[in-house]
Amino acid sequence: MNKVLAAVNSDKKSVIWLTVILSLVIGGLVWEVVGLSFNQAIMAPLFGADQHPGTLPRLYEYFFDDEEYIGSLFQSIQLFTTGFALAILGAVPFGIIMARLVTLRVALESYILMLYVTPMIALIPFILSILGFDFWPKVLVVYLFAFFPILYNTLEGARSVKPELIEVAQSFRSSEVAIWKDILIPYTLPYALTGIRQAAGRALVGMVAAEFFLSTSGLGEELITASRNFDMAGVLATILVITGLGITFMRIAQAVERRYGAWRGLDR
Amino acid sequence: MISAAFTGTDTQGGVKHLLFGTKLRAKISTGVIILVVWQVGVQLFAPSFVAKPIDVLGVFPSVISDPDFLSASFSTLSAVVQGLIIALIFGTIVGVAMGRVKLFDRLLNHYVNGLYTMPMVALLPLITIWFGYEGDARLATVIFAGFFSIVINARDGSRSVPHEYLEVCKAYRAPVRYVWFDITVFSSLPYLIAGFRLAAGRALVGAVIAEFFVSLNGVGMYVLANARTFKHNEAVVGVIALVLFGLLFELTMNWVMKRYFPWYRREGRGE
Repeated sequence: MNKVLAAVNSDKKSVIWLTVILSLVIGGLVWEVVGLSFNQAIMAPLFGADQHPGTLPRLYEYFFDDEEYIGSLFQSIQLFTTGFALAILGAVPFGIIMARLVTLRVALESYILMLYVTPMIALIPFILSILGFDFWPKVLVVYLFAFFPILYNTLEGARSVKPELIEVAQSFRSSEVAIWKDILIPYTLPYALTGIRQAAGRALVGMVAAEFFLSTSGLGEELITASRNFDMAGVLATILVITGLGITFMRIAQAVERRYGAWRGLDR
Repeated sequence: MISAAFTGTDTQGGVKHLLFGTKLRAKISTGVIILVVWQVGVQLFAPSFVAKPIDVLGVFPSVISDPDFLSASFSTLSAVVQGLIIALIFGTIVGVAMGRVKLFDRLLNHYVNGLYTMPMVALLPLITIWFGYEGDARLATVIFAGFFSIVINARDGSRSVPHEYLEVCKAYRAPVRYVWFDITVFSSLPYLIAGFRLAAGRALVGAVIAEFFVSLNGVGMYVLANARTFKHNEAVVGVIALVLFGLLFELTMNWVMKRYFPWYRREGRGE
């Protein structure tokens, strides 16, 4: 018994690979069996059979046979990147300015925290009734979801800038540009990147929510149409696509964070 | 140089000192400025139905005493609390199992990470088909929203149990359940609490999204219904209630920690 346990939990490369493959096979089998044993309006299997359209064939169809779907995908990506880029451009400089103007930081801190904990999803009805159904209201939703995590984390970085450093720089008559370039940005950037990583996940939720509750478009529309038609293969395939998008955005943000995160370790 | 802003050494800036002299004064006067800008800006530039601070204050008492609003708050809160308790119990068990036994970790890791990144809104159409357009769908969304952040934190926590503790356990031949639930769970408490905080925020968002999607009685629906009928002032009170739920949760957590885990100190929390 103990030998089996030790073998299964050992750190050998082959054992690790075997367990991971085993887990994927088991997961796929469970999905397939569950999908085949339920009505096709409730659950779709992974590969599919007659009467039971599968998720993977549908995914293939979407990507290689369906130009409309590719259009929706790009619509969603456009919405996400526009809102997210605007949020970064707004929040990061604002956070760094607050590292420089301490009074401003002290004055605004608690209000930013308050907005950071506000569930932004609850603001969607207001945006809907004030701004309507355009592209830009949806961008605003993504923006709001992403802005406060980035700002809050940049602010955390602003708080970590030591006043002594700026005082020394000033007593050596360092220029304002140099203070920004050599003190403020290196200190706050790693924190801002942590915020950007956090915000990527939230902005994705914002993207899907905006496409659901404002004018339906993009992947959100595909998802709703599929679920109204009880096309479970379509629903599951679109969920996979959205998750794939999320993982891609996260990976990019993580890679950037790791690259510049090393700056944070300087004086701890 | 920087402290000059606070101590107000410039004698001409009497008004400035009065308003921004101390941290507290700076905060209060900024709050007032924000409210005034909101009020004036909306009055000048926005349609008349948009919420204004004074009107929000005006409807506040009537909304708070409105039985519909109270039942909506109760419905949302009880769903969130139920869901969080279920997610906490099962999430901790799964997470500790993954942290302690490498086999479970390798089997489940991909699924947990994938489902954690999956935005919960995207699952709503699926959840409504499985659980129907009723309360169960909201409970399922809340559990899904909270479960995976608890699992991930419980896993990381039980991986970082100090080696000495485990060695002492081994030396005294402690049974496995003792190692798991008395050593691992308690020494990974900081991680569990961080995960639980994250889960609570996500669970509240999940409950509101589910109410939007399913049209279920609750605070989210209260906000949506009032915003749709252009009663924005009432709707803003609903949003304020959601923020207060978050604060209430923080306060309860702090109280529970002080009352039942006095040996746990916040400074020791991993960042």
